[in-house]
Amino acid sequence: MSAQFVIFGLLAVTSVATALAMIFSRNAVHGVLFMVGNFAAVALLYVLLGSPFLAAVQILVYAGAIMVLFLFVVMLMGPEPAPLWEHIPGQRPLALLFGLLLAAGLIAAVNVEELTGVPGIMSQEVLERLGQPTALAQTLFERYLLPFEVTSLLLLIGMIGAVVLAKREKHELQAERAPREGGAE
Amino acid sequence: MERFLAQNWTVIQPALFLVFTGLIVLLVDLWLKEEEREWLAYFSLVGFGGAGVIVVRQWLAVRGLETPITGFGGMMVLDTLGLLFQMLFFLVGFLAVLLAPGYLTRRRLQRGEFYALLLFSTAGMSLLAGAQDLIMLFLGIEVLSIPLYILAGFARPRLDSEEASLKYFLLGAFATGFLLYGTALLYGATGTTAFEALRASEAAAAPRENVMFMAGIALLLVGLGFKISMAPFHQWTPDVYEGAPTPVTAFMVAATKAGGMVALIRLLYWGLGPADDVWRPLLGVLAAVTMTWGNVGALLQRNVKRMLAYSSIAHAGYLLIGVLSGGVGFVAVLVYLLIYALTNLGAFGVILLLEDGEREALDIESYRGLARFHPGAALLMSVFLLSLAGFPPTAGFFGKFLLFTAGISAGLTWLVVVAVLNSVLSVFYYARVIVKMYMQEPVETPAFSRSWLVAGALAVAAVGVVLLGLYPTVVVRLITA
Amino acid sequence: METLLWALLLVPLAGAVVNVLLGRRLPRQVAGWLASGAVALAFLIGVMATLRLLALPAEERAYVTPTLYTWALAGRFEVPVSLLFDQLAAVMVLVVTGVGFLIHVYSVGYMAHEPADYDFRRYFVYLNLFVFSMLLLVLGSNFVLLYAGWELVGLCSYLLISFWYTEPQNAAAGRKAFVVNRVGDFAFALGIFLIWSAFGSVVYADVFEAVGGVAPATLTAITLLLFVGCTGKSAQLPLYVWLPDAMAGPTPVSALIHAATMVTAGVYLIARASALFAAATSTSAIVAWVGVLTALFAATIAIVQVDIKRVLAYSTISQLGYMFLGVGVGAYTAAIFHLVTHAFFKALLFLGAGSVMHAVEHGAHHAGEHVDPQDMRQMGGLWERARWTGITFLVGAAALAGLPLTSGFFSKDEILAGAFLEGHVLLYGVGLLTAFLTATYSFRQFFLVFAGEPRSEAARHAAESPRVMLVPLAVLAVLALGAGLVLGWPPEHGIIHTWLEPAFAVAREGTKAEGGAGLSPMTLLLISSVVALAGAGLAYGAYVRKAVDPAALSVRFRPLYVLLWNRYYVDELYALLFVRPFFGLARFLADVVDKLVIDGAVNGVATVTAGAHALARRLQAGYVRVYALSMVLGALLVLGYLVYWGR
Repeated sequence: MSAQFVIFGLLAVTSVATALAMIFSRNAVHGVLFMVGNFAAVALLYVLLGSPFLAAVQILVYAGAIMVLFLFVVMLMGPEPAPLWEHIPGQRPLALLFGLLLAAGLIAAVNVEELTGVPGIMSQEVLERLGQPTALAQTLFERYLLPFEVTSLLLLIGMIGAVVLAKREKHELQAERAPREGGAE
Repeated sequence: MERFLAQNWTVIQPALFLVFTGLIVLLVDLWLKEEEREWLAYFSLVGFGGAGVIVVRQWLAVRGLETPITGFGGMMVLDTLGLLFQMLFFLVGFLAVLLAPGYLTRRRLQRGEFYALLLFSTAGMSLLAGAQDLIMLFLGIEVLSIPLYILAGFARPRLDSEEASLKYFLLGAFATGFLLYGTALLYGATGTTAFEALRASEAAAAPRENVMFMAGIALLLVGLGFKISMAPFHQWTPDVYEGAPTPVTAFMVAATKAGGMVALIRLLYWGLGPADDVWRPLLGVLAAVTMTWGNVGALLQRNVKRMLAYSSIAHAGYLLIGVLSGGVGFVAVLVYLLIYALTNLGAFGVILLLEDGEREALDIESYRGLARFHPGAALLMSVFLLSLAGFPPTAGFFGKFLLFTAGISAGLTWLVVVAVLNSVLSVFYYARVIVKMYMQEPVETPAFSRSWLVAGALAVAAVGVVLLGLYPTVVVRLITA
Repeated sequence: METLLWALLLVPLAGAVVNVLLGRRLPRQVAGWLASGAVALAFLIGVMATLRLLALPAEERAYVTPTLYTWALAGRFEVPVSLLFDQLAAVMVLVVTGVGFLIHVYSVGYMAHEPADYDFRRYFVYLNLFVFSMLLLVLGSNFVLLYAGWELVGLCSYLLISFWYTEPQNAAAGRKAFVVNRVGDFAFALGIFLIWSAFGSVVYADVFEAVGGVAPATLTAITLLLFVGCTGKSAQLPLYVWLPDAMAGPTPVSALIHAATMVTAGVYLIARASALFAAATSTSAIVAWVGVLTALFAATIAIVQVDIKRVLAYSTISQLGYMFLGVGVGAYTAAIFHLVTHAFFKALLFLGAGSVMHAVEHGAHHAGEHVDPQDMRQMGGLWERARWTGITFLVGAAALAGLPLTSGFFSKDEILAGAFLEGHVLLYGVGLLTAFLTATYSFRQFFLVFAGEPRSEAARHAAESPRVMLVPLAVLAVLALGAGLVLGWPPEHGIIHTWLEPAFAVAREGTKAEGGAGLSPMTLLLISSVVALAGAGLAYGAYVRKAVDPAALSVRFRPLYVLLWNRYYVDELYALLFVRPFFGLARFLADVVDKLVIDGAVNGVATVTAGAHALARRLQAGYVRVYALSMVLGALLVLGYLVYWGR
């Protein structure tokens, strides 16, 4: 039993445990925090697999940016614990079904050569190249430089949109307050 | 870093200029008081003007070249077609900015974001004009559209504006799905997203052998069809055009259509040229359906903005004739779009003049007897409406003539017959407004708000519509030179 | 010459512009005289230009101005903006400006009672604009300029028909005219496109030169499309329906636009394109038949009408039918000759009718009685009370009826003779029958209005119109009486013939030699005289001598009478066939398909309901989902076509 295996075991247990905890926690804030833990564990798994760049991206993008947004939303909605009720009829069986399908897809993708006899496009070399920051950077900053930049513009526009549609000008706030103070409603 | 700089940045120079202008507007906005923000409009005018100068200079440089300049690994191209379209976009943007400040001040919406979004949207069109890759096509359309979703909802306390924004956003996102899926299918069928490679691919040579390729074309046509409001993907148009703030509607009517058209031309001719026997008959039928649906739908509308929305659907149908004709057809499309843009901006400018803080001249009844109170506005509106109807000697007549002759020389006689019949029909609803203005007694004194900027935009539009009608040769020569 | 022609075209436009800009500051009479002066000036320039043309040898009398600039230049498509002045254009210009001037003068008196200065000015601006448009139509050197003028005269006519727009039916009449005309214009526009694709040019000279090189089928298609355009503008079957309603406009407008000039544009077009039509024999036959049938059809309706202007409207349709018969059988000169004389006598009749109405209105005012000033049943005995109007009206009626030696007599006979000598005996027969009916209804009208005792208090107190109205009447009466003799005698060799023949030389080349069927032109002239006199005599017998009782006849032939009285139910038929289904479709597309509910109801929602809650409800209420669903359906169709059927 190498040290690596021990670390992997710990991380695996942590990631599964945090995922389950996230699903079952009644408090949205707790749920988000568990998810952060989960992301961190998965990121460490990447390090273990020899892809430090992916790990860094995972931390930066998911644990950092996206989770902050999640927290933001949760705080805005009000962090009080909500009952576990179903929004869509048949949500749970459907969730289970899709979860299983996803798992099956992943397993099939990994074992594509054994299943079909045809080697998949993700050969060992490709995978190694993908994990390296230089390869990713080359794709991103050469071939797809322009789309990459334009996407950033798109994100900026989205942000402005959120501000425009949510921000209230002073006079608007006053206008809103006025009738209430006057007791018209 | 050398590689970063080694890219041919000139191909996106106008778009870059617009984006930076937009960013500066956003920043400066923070230091300005509400009543000072009108200066941002002037600054945006400089942005559009500057971008225009860049494009004209590029056009002068590119005009004589045999092979067009490309950039970003062939993703973007710098050719006359794209540059001419960009000139059109910037002109429309410029005029739309002229329409805006009065309206925004009146409704206390004077905010820098408005101008920035207008600039960003135009930058999206500018990218679209040179797109040589499905990915750039997609991104260009998104950069064009998303600011418009927001702008449509800019008159926020007004419920129908918010509704327009949401509807546009939801349906637009839906259409984006089609676009993206189509892109993915084409990639799956050919293994590339670059137009050049698409054109050379096996699938394009024998499209009927490849289901995935055909399905990809279909979904792309649906997605682009939504953007140019082609039937049966047009239903959002009346609702959104009606609800959006009038300056935004003016911009959308004039510019989005042009953006969609250039995207369609790029995709169909640069990307899917060899497979033209697949999309040609389909698009022909859709063009006929579109113009008929738009015109018939406009017949009974009582809301003028809504009527113009239906009319814009009809005009999309006419424009498709030019797209289908190829070659001379592109010239016709360009000229027609220019005329159409000027005319619509003018018409919406008049609509803007006829509203004050509260009232908006949306119902056709509010045009009753306008000639008595504001003969100038009534005259201008009549000129614009007659031009939309294609009445000689206005520019609209010339534009239609150009489009239809292009159609006939491309062998699309049946489509031209449908189009001429349609333009006969269209006179009916345009004339109705003129009748209201000149031939009915006013019920109440119409609202009126003077604005020098709007007046300036109207002057440009009116002079353009009249001059292009009487002496269009200059423009045509410039374009074909 | 070049300057002269451009000045000719632009003077009326300048008149309109000046009136728009300065009109407010001028007394209204000055505005009226200014407009009249502009047209008078145009007439003088026209005369000068014609004299210059006259100085040239006969075969060189076609002047094309240098191209001012080229309009449209994409691919091979070019339209030079230049004017063409030849014999045909000269005739048209003189008629348009000459008759136009008289009608302007008359209008100054006729419109004097218009209460608002604004309306008075507006009237003259429209009128000047019309003259400009008509000159553009006539002078343009190619089909596109002709089309531009064609559309503009339509617009002016539309504006003038609905001039008194406060009456809803007038506005409706204007709209009807506009829409029906657009149907014709649609065909015309297609015809031009076809000309361009067949000849590669739209310039008259280029097109007519190349007629031989174009397939007969194409030629037939082109000419048929052009002719459909003519049936709209010149009110022929089946598109004539707008003209009777167009009488809603002021009477001088009916005289100028709906009798003398605009409605003859179709005849002008065919005469102008005579090279095309002569080569397309089957189209020419259709033109002749449509013309003669329209003539008969409208004449039968005219015979039972009681509205003084409607009789004239149907008679205009009928007379235009004659002109089309003329161009259809290749008698181009005769058709243009009739166009000229018709312009004189029909303008005279309309202005006379206006003067009658003026007189009756005056009487009604005096007697405090409310009568419809256009209802001939309320008139009678006006001969004593409005003598000058009566005399001039009599001249007009005689010319319309074709009584010997009047202008209408010569021109109409020449058309009939043309039909007969070209061997179209049946056409000749129908035309002759129509001539009989024409004489009957025109004298019926004259006797109903002027003869006998007044049938209402208003008619009893009627008074003569002011001099400014009578002078144009007198001038037109002289023209209507003498123009035939001066221009058209001797038959086939009069002034107008020698003048116009070279213009139609190309078209006349292939036609048969004269004198085919054994009757000499003089015999035909005699037959026409007898027929016209017989028709007039019948009217005299029925309405003055009371030898025949029209009332008894209408009872006896009741079904026929009802059919004619209701104008063959054509309006109702069109409403049933076209108008209603069309609006049904529009409502269906806009309301049901695009909206699923009525438009107004939805537009109301946003203003009535308020708050974010309502917004959410509306979004969920289905529009977005329905739109999305229809997008999916559309996408499935496109997908299905490309992936399944398209392969």
